[in-house]
Amino acid sequence: MTELQYIGKPARRVDALEKVMGKAKYIADRKLPGMLHARCLRSEAPHALIKKLDVTPALAVPGVRAVITSEDFFEHSLFGFPVKDEYVLAYRKVRYVGEAIAAVAADTPEAALAGVQAIVCELEPLPGVFDMEHALDPDAAQVGPDRPDDQHPNFLDLLIVRQADPLAEIEQCAVKLDERYSVGPQEHAYIEPEGALAVPTREGGVLVYAPNQSPFVNYGVLAMVLDLPHNLVRVIQPPVGGSFGGKDDQIYQMSAQVAKLALLTGKPVRLVYSREESLISSYKRDPMHIRIRLGADSDGTLRAVKFEGLMDSGAYASESTFTAWRGSIHAMGAYRYNACAVDIKCVYTNNGYYGAFRGFGNTEVCAGIEQAIDELACAVGMDPLDFRLKNCLHVGDRTAHGQILTESVGLPDCIKTVRRLSDWDRKRAAYANQTGNIRRGIGVAALYHGTSLGAEGADYAGSTIAVEQNYSIDLTSGLTDYGTGSRTVFTLIAAEELGVSPDRIHMQRPDTDTAIESGPTVASRSTMLGGNAARVAADNLRQTLDYAAADLLGCELHQLVRSGEAYVGPDEEPVAWERVVDHAREMGLALSAHGKWTAPRIEWDHHHGTGTPYMAYHFASQVAEVEVDMRTGVVQVVNFWAVHDPGKVIFPQGAYGQVYGGVAQGLGYALMEQITYTNGYLQETNFESYLIPTSVDVPEITAQFVEAPFSKGPYGAKNIAEPSMVPAAPAILNAIYHATGKRVRDLPANLERVLLGHDLAKGGSAKACKLGLKT
Amino acid sequence: MKPQLITLHINGRTHALAAAPNATLLETLRDLGYVDVKSGCEKGDCGACAVLLNGEAVNSCMVLAGQADEATIVTATGLGTVTNPHPLQQAFADHGAIQCGYCTPGFVIAAKALLDTNPHPTELEIREAISGNLCRCTGYGQIVEAIQAAAEQMVPAEGGAR
Ligand code: FES
Ligand code: FES
Repeated sequence: MTELQYIGKPARRVDALEKVMGKAKYIADRKLPGMLHARCLRSEAPHALIKKLDVTPALAVPGVRAVITSEDFFEHSLFGFPVKDEYVLAYRKVRYVGEAIAAVAADTPEAALAGVQAIVCELEPLPGVFDMEHALDPDAAQVGPDRPDDQHPNFLDLLIVRQADPLAEIEQCAVKLDERYSVGPQEHAYIEPEGALAVPTREGGVLVYAPNQSPFVNYGVLAMVLDLPHNLVRVIQPPVGGSFGGKDDQIYQMSAQVAKLALLTGKPVRLVYSREESLISSYKRDPMHIRIRLGADSDGTLRAVKFEGLMDSGAYASESTFTAWRGSIHAMGAYRYNACAVDIKCVYTNNGYYGAFRGFGNTEVCAGIEQAIDELACAVGMDPLDFRLKNCLHVGDRTAHGQILTESVGLPDCIKTVRRLSDWDRKRAAYANQTGNIRRGIGVAALYHGTSLGAEGADYAGSTIAVEQNYSIDLTSGLTDYGTGSRTVFTLIAAEELGVSPDRIHMQRPDTDTAIESGPTVASRSTMLGGNAARVAADNLRQTLDYAAADLLGCELHQLVRSGEAYVGPDEEPVAWERVVDHAREMGLALSAHGKWTAPRIEWDHHHGTGTPYMAYHFASQVAEVEVDMRTGVVQVVNFWAVHDPGKVIFPQGAYGQVYGGVAQGLGYALMEQITYTNGYLQETNFESYLIPTSVDVPEITAQFVEAPFSKGPYGAKNIAEPSMVPAAPAILNAIYHATGKRVRDLPANLERVLLGHDLAKGGSAKACKLGLKT
Repeated sequence: MKPQLITLHINGRTHALAAAPNATLLETLRDLGYVDVKSGCEKGDCGACAVLLNGEAVNSCMVLAGQADEATIVTATGLGTVTNPHPLQQAFADHGAIQCGYCTPGFVIAAKALLDTNPHPTELEIREAISGNLCRCTGYGQIVEAIQAAAEQMVPAEGGAR
């Protein structure tokens, strides 16, 4: 490959200045003339029948223009993928506290609130399911939809991986482990609360501005529930103030609510959540109960694993079946085994609802398996880093799923590098046998994380590119940049392919009228899928320009060389890129192109739990150093090292940013982020009770990349956003154990758990939650 | 309760308006079009709504508009322009201190208030000064770096605050 000009070189985010100058207009910053304000009536009961719902009194409230319920939508607004079990507005039943029942549009926010309060809504309470361990009891109340088979209606899915018989294998092992772990729910806590704004169009359709992750999914849901032809629906993506998996179904519900209200009133309608409304009504990361059995030989050869997980999906399926699948694939960790069985079951309850969040199942299972591996290493009497190095996946190895890894496995290098950077061996020895009140510890975790959707679904993306009148270049993608930096990644890729300066390129935000449907913006798939699509589009355009340049310079294509942007032919006189563009126009050539990239087909056999789940994997190893105050249980993370193999790094500053931010979220997950549902009522309704890491909680993080290129990624790139967070929590938990000699197997490792080894009995009531719904 | 007539001097412009007695400065600023002042919690816990009020960084959601009568207010858009950004804004952009960008105006204001009183902050002083601002994307490291870089640029070795 020739020397790269822009890929992997210093660059600035394409939207940096706009954002830092305060010019970026997020959804709440968009105001239109005559715009109405929307607000939802929400359930104050965790599980109830809607006995009576009369909206006429609300319509009599001054300023109220329209009120909608599920009756106003096609099939009562039923939607959801892959399981269709959710409504835009509740139909017949409510299944969690905060579920939207009706929506009001009014001239002012105050009138909208008065309208909500005037709605007559009678809820008849039903018994609830609040403990996932009892969700499938024969007498448990029915939360999930009716099923066609004889399974319990609260059963959602079971995901398995199978290779040989692990229990028989463990039986023969010299060293065994059988432990239980748990992870709690986690809130995305993007600083921008959710919102949506709909504008009715002259043609009888609707234009929706929504900070959604996947504009084309929103577009599809809108057309379906509004019963409109697709050409009357348009979704435009404003800047998004963070998402992390969180601005999916919730935003589609909001979009449909404001769209219907806009269609009924003929006016723009906006809905923006308060922080309380966001926390109470939005989905969270699924909590999981985990049992892990492991076996190894006395020399530290890992032989077998059995992983059993029970995952709460809450009131709706949302993405839980996909989350559980990704969880099941990664549940055994990045190691070689002779035998492996994974079973992850997900069930319905009335504890809010759970959906996609960075790491998507892997964050949950990694917290379990990477502690279990640490415990087993300890039982074998080996250094936990040596133990991982001895058993981890290399090129040529066969995974527990039966997949042979043929390329791009940077894991051994990641582990060796993090060992060196963190001064592991010296610290590990120095912190053994401490007795003081303040103790230090150092812990490690390893990771692999499948790229893109894998066998979850059709995996493709599209891009368009065009040269404009002023010689600038417009680039589109159907994938969203919600803060990750993907617009910059696409810009750099297109610039590299075309051989033009990135400054020429205007990377648009998605608009369903102009961008190409590209599937969802999830699974850290933007760089590989969207990047490849941008590469193909730019390459197609470049071929046209090369053709024009050869014609202009009177030479063969292979005689062309580039000098900066300019084209040079055999007479060695550089010709400006603009002149080539002019010549192409004179030749009547189209200076626009499409690019589509589809991932190679892979198969997973759900019934037998074997196959090829992902085309490639990201690998990483992270080390945390902590200081524990033995008198208070306070844990401070004092140092952190993260070494990742994301394949070729396209936009280094952005990639480092992803690692730093991911580690910070993992730190919060490990130590402080606590979501509590007491009989279905959320206790943490704003940032004074839901604590996320601040600048004094997050240490300086040292990140480094091991770039093991993947042949099908653009320039060898794989992925980075999700994997950066996944191993952070178990690395911290393992460091706490190293410092204190006591294991905290339940996340988050809050003060009580670190100090006392158990939770303090806490009260909890419906009060904060009910109050939150009124703010 | 009657609205109160107040005067606000915002980013060099004077606004005379009638403010409801319970209107927060945050709502008032946003209604006037200063939407670079963001709302993240309305409880004083996130710093997204930070502005300089008579030179001091405050969470505008915790101030009533009436309390700000006659005050001089600076928001992020008041610090610089796209063609001539404030050194802090330039440093944020150059150092990758921005991801989703929603928290960014609040951080720039907190940093400005810090450097106004302490032109040579240590890393710890920077971390403490921005500890009331939440960022969910960056993990803070590049923000701290940006503030350090801006401090160095704003106060050249010879001294002389800008
Ligand atoms: S909105 Fe004012 S501190 Fe959060
Ligand atoms: S950049 Fe997203 S919250 Fe700070």
